[in-house]
Amino acid sequence: MKENYLAKWLNNELSEAELAAFKETAEYASYQRIIEASARMEGPAYDNKAAYQQLQAKLSGKDKSKMTTGKVIQMRPVRKLMAIAAAVVLMIAVSFWFVNSQEETISTLYAQSTTHTLPDASEIILNAGSEISYSKKKWDKRRVVSLEGEAFFKVAKGERFSVATDLGEVWVLGTQFNVEHRDEYFEVTCYEGLVRVNFNGVEQELPAGSSFLAINGKVIPVEGPNADGPSWLNQESSFKSIPLKYVLEEFERQFDIEVETRDVDLNQLFTGTFSNTNKELALQSISSPSRLTYDLDGENVIFYAEDTP
Amino acid sequence: MNIENHNNVCQEEVFSFLFNAHSKAIFRSIFYKYGNEEKAYDVVQEAFVKLWEHCAKVTPEKAKSYVYTIANNNYLNVLKAEKVRMRYNNSGLEKDRTQESPEYLLEEKEFQQKLDNALNNLPENQRQTFLMNRVEGKKYAEIADLEGVSVKAIEKRMHLALKTLREQIDGI
Repeated sequence: MKENYLAKWLNNELSEAELAAFKETAEYASYQRIIEASARMEGPAYDNKAAYQQLQAKLSGKDKSKMTTGKVIQMRPVRKLMAIAAAVVLMIAVSFWFVNSQEETISTLYAQSTTHTLPDASEIILNAGSEISYSKKKWDKRRVVSLEGEAFFKVAKGERFSVATDLGEVWVLGTQFNVEHRDEYFEVTCYEGLVRVNFNGVEQELPAGSSFLAINGKVIPVEGPNADGPSWLNQESSFKSIPLKYVLEEFERQFDIEVETRDVDLNQLFTGTFSNTNKELALQSISSPSRLTYDLDGENVIFYAEDTP
Repeated sequence: MNIENHNNVCQEEVFSFLFNAHSKAIFRSIFYKYGNEEKAYDVVQEAFVKLWEHCAKVTPEKAKSYVYTIANNNYLNVLKAEKVRMRYNNSGLEKDRTQESPEYLLEEKEFQQKLDNALNNLPENQRQTFLMNRVEGKKYAEIADLEGVSVKAIEKRMHLALKTLREQIDGI
């Protein structure tokens, strides 16, 4: 029968012949009964008006000037004052925009990576689904890059260089290192030189050939890298005892695909490497050591535990 | 009201229009996914507070998916999935009492219980898709838009949801 025929059936998209064939099946009566029973289901109560009033109460606690329900009576002196205030706000906004426009932002989509050269010739290679930003204007004074995602840095010799993420900060002198920050995952690997990591206020020095890893606020001891650059530069993703959850998320980013799981323990640790270019190969590399099976369908893949039917 | 002419969420009328238009669907969608009414309500309220705070940066067209994404993320960050308990409107069944035997009613209640259990065993995404379509009457395209995936992905979820529900209810 047609792909996703049950969904098509509900949407009246089956042809007459297909519908007739479907009605012949032994399962049809059960499907019909499920649809009838679900038609009697009711969603939880929701009162738009009450919810909006509650929201307004919350907002007025935060910012009284923004939301007023009463009528505003204007008086002349107030109006003049307002005009001045508006002019000041406008000036601040314009200068803010001006300063902001000096901010350089580079980002990559899923299944994409890019190389960017900073004003001092330092090089940044961005992995898939990542974003960096820095101020071009102030670069001479402060070499700071904000990062969301994963990037490899080749830093030119010079003043202190730092990478800021929501979870921690990394400081360096001339060196090569990789930083990954995704949700509650923060990993730094130093390949050359010396970097200093600040995580939750605790500083730690990371010499060449060592790594720092923290997941959900907990520092996890890890071995250093056994290559002279991160594996993703060679179109591969490598993991050493990393929860499967992060492995699958990386897979989604590399192939721009949606992953679903069924009865799969996402906390089990995964050690291994998958290709960032060959989807089938990558799926096998992930599924077989974790004892999973998978079902690939266009932009969707579902992983099952091997013992589920 | 035509929101295209009011491209500023900071205007209260635009904001309240967006709230009235979308908050219910987002609330129910989060509930179907994770199963706690009170918490779903709270994360939706919080997400609209966020929308107000960032009203200058979000266009009215983007507001719905902005609020949904924030509510969904907030839920994931703090809470774990719980059971979804559905209510049934059986008044139709009971009105027909003259024609339907008490056995029929009892059997129907049993079936609803089985369906509830099977729904709870579905993956979150499939349960949400199924209930948004069946209970809320949302089209596949609307659910796809909310979830940020393709219509085909939603069809697949729907197909698998119904297939799994039947297998569980028929005890295969």
